[in-house]
Amino acid sequence: MPWDLIFFFTLAAICLLTAVLVVVSENPVHSGLFLVLCFLGVAGVFVLLGSEFLAVLQIIVYTGAVLVLLLFVLMLVDPEKLPAFYTARPLQRYVSALIGVVLVLELGAAIISRTAIEAIGPDTPEAVAAVGGNVQAIGIVVFTDYVLALEIASLVLTVGVVGAVVIGLPERLGEKAGETTSTISLGHARGSDNMLGAGPRFETPIATSGQPVRVAEGPRTVVMAKSADEYTRAGEISR
Amino acid sequence: MDQPIWITFFVSFIILNVLLIGMAYVTWFERKVLARFQDRLGPTRTGPAGLLQPLADAVKLLGKEDLVPAAADKWVFLFAPVVTFMTALIAAAVIPFGDTATIFGQEVNLFPADLNVGALFILAAGGAGVYGIILGGWASANRYSLLGALRSAAQVISYELILGFSLVGIFIMTGTLSLREIMLRQHETLSIGPLEVSNWFILSQPLAFVLFMIGAVAETNRAPFDLPEAESELVAGFHTEYSGFRFSLYFLGEYVSMIVVSLFATTLFLGGTSGPGAEEYWGLGLLWLLLKVVAFLFFYVWLRATLPRFRFDQLMGLAWKVLLPLALLNILVTAFFRLIANGEVF
Repeated sequence: MPWDLIFFFTLAAICLLTAVLVVVSENPVHSGLFLVLCFLGVAGVFVLLGSEFLAVLQIIVYTGAVLVLLLFVLMLVDPEKLPAFYTARPLQRYVSALIGVVLVLELGAAIISRTAIEAIGPDTPEAVAAVGGNVQAIGIVVFTDYVLALEIASLVLTVGVVGAVVIGLPERLGEKAGETTSTISLGHARGSDNMLGAGPRFETPIATSGQPVRVAEGPRTVVMAKSADEYTRAGEISR
Repeated sequence: MDQPIWITFFVSFIILNVLLIGMAYVTWFERKVLARFQDRLGPTRTGPAGLLQPLADAVKLLGKEDLVPAAADKWVFLFAPVVTFMTALIAAAVIPFGDTATIFGQEVNLFPADLNVGALFILAAGGAGVYGIILGGWASANRYSLLGALRSAAQVISYELILGFSLVGIFIMTGTLSLREIMLRQHETLSIGPLEVSNWFILSQPLAFVLFMIGAVAETNRAPFDLPEAESELVAGFHTEYSGFRFSLYFLGEYVSMIVVSLFATTLFLGGTSGPGAEEYWGLGLLWLLLKVVAFLFFYVWLRATLPRFRFDQLMGLAWKVLLPLALLNILVTAFFRLIANGEVF
């Protein structure tokens, strides 16, 4: 058996196995980890096909993306409160099966149209070599034929970034925190040490349940610092 | 160019071993230089000038117990340090240590692989290496470890961008992503009036070089960007729970990535093996390469001895508000000059 076939089947087996494990893992972090392994396998297949550029991009883009996904899992999912094994509602089950079948058919159509009918596109190995390699070939195609799609994609990403910044602006976070009175307390303001004698009645309460927490009324200043810089002169902005 | 595959394996084997020994002696180098900065002597008792200290450390670390915390996610905990170490070593595969040389009548390529996307490959390996830190910190089931891991994730996502963007200027100038071709371009000489200077990209891309060095220090988690393991607040950050050989894999992974990043910076900005006599004798080229890498390693230690650690909001502010706009400006200016050189404007 030629070496490239052996490598291909090894990589394909890794991809399929890890793809299944992504779905069946009970721990969401393990799912993310298997997703990375699956993407690395796909990158290996790209190398076998002679397009190193796509392989490296696959690693750079998707390792970063899954990293962010893992962070969300770490911050938002409580592993002890996960439901047993999520079996979707009947409608979701049937629709997802249908979509899966459509996807397989699409892939089959793509493969058959390229190999069985022998309708090979314009980017043959010779054509790629003529422009100096697959990096150059992809660059030329992306920035001439598909430049509109590229610009739209970059516009969507820019809108996403602007949205994230607007939502995450520290001022707004501060306002929200002020409304629900769950303050970001970084300690007590400088010069208020003598108030420690007031006892635990005036300590900032720790939110334990989902209910909004009221700060106990007392002589102690609660610091609302929006950044660490402000905290260093916290006395000026206390309320 | 083409050579029997056993020569490639042989060259890779030598490079791998030199890297592993080199990394052990970078720890010695760092301890010695740091000691001098602090008016101390550093290791002196093991062999002449403490030269056997890395061996003693290795024996000590190998002999320690390999602890796994009871609450840890066992397999991920055991696997994570290997990821950091392996990705650091893999990145060295695309570094050129010279062009083709004739050794014992045999044409030998002094680079393990001339990948046409070599520069991106190193960035990809660096990005994958973060998984070792994230997974190790998460699997330890320790809050300090998790905090270190989260910091590392945020830091690497930001500074990888700077690192990648700082290189775009070079890619625009050379039109290639292959490290060997980038290096060979710098072996040419430029004549500016009466002056004959090497075509090192540090001269034509000084801003990119500064950005790259800042990004590289952050990417390797070294001081002053070592927040993932800030010992004054997080005990030891992501590797708090690690002991024995697994700890040393993290430790050595950091030093390997320091060496690889230094090699990478040398290849990109300081002409790799270029220097007087390097064209005639490949050994002299290797010597120049070694000298430049040692200079970079000294720079690393110098930073650690001089600068205090950043606060986390300063770290993020620096990346997104200062370095990223500068990197974009560098790309814009370089692209503009490239267009002028091509005669497409004016």
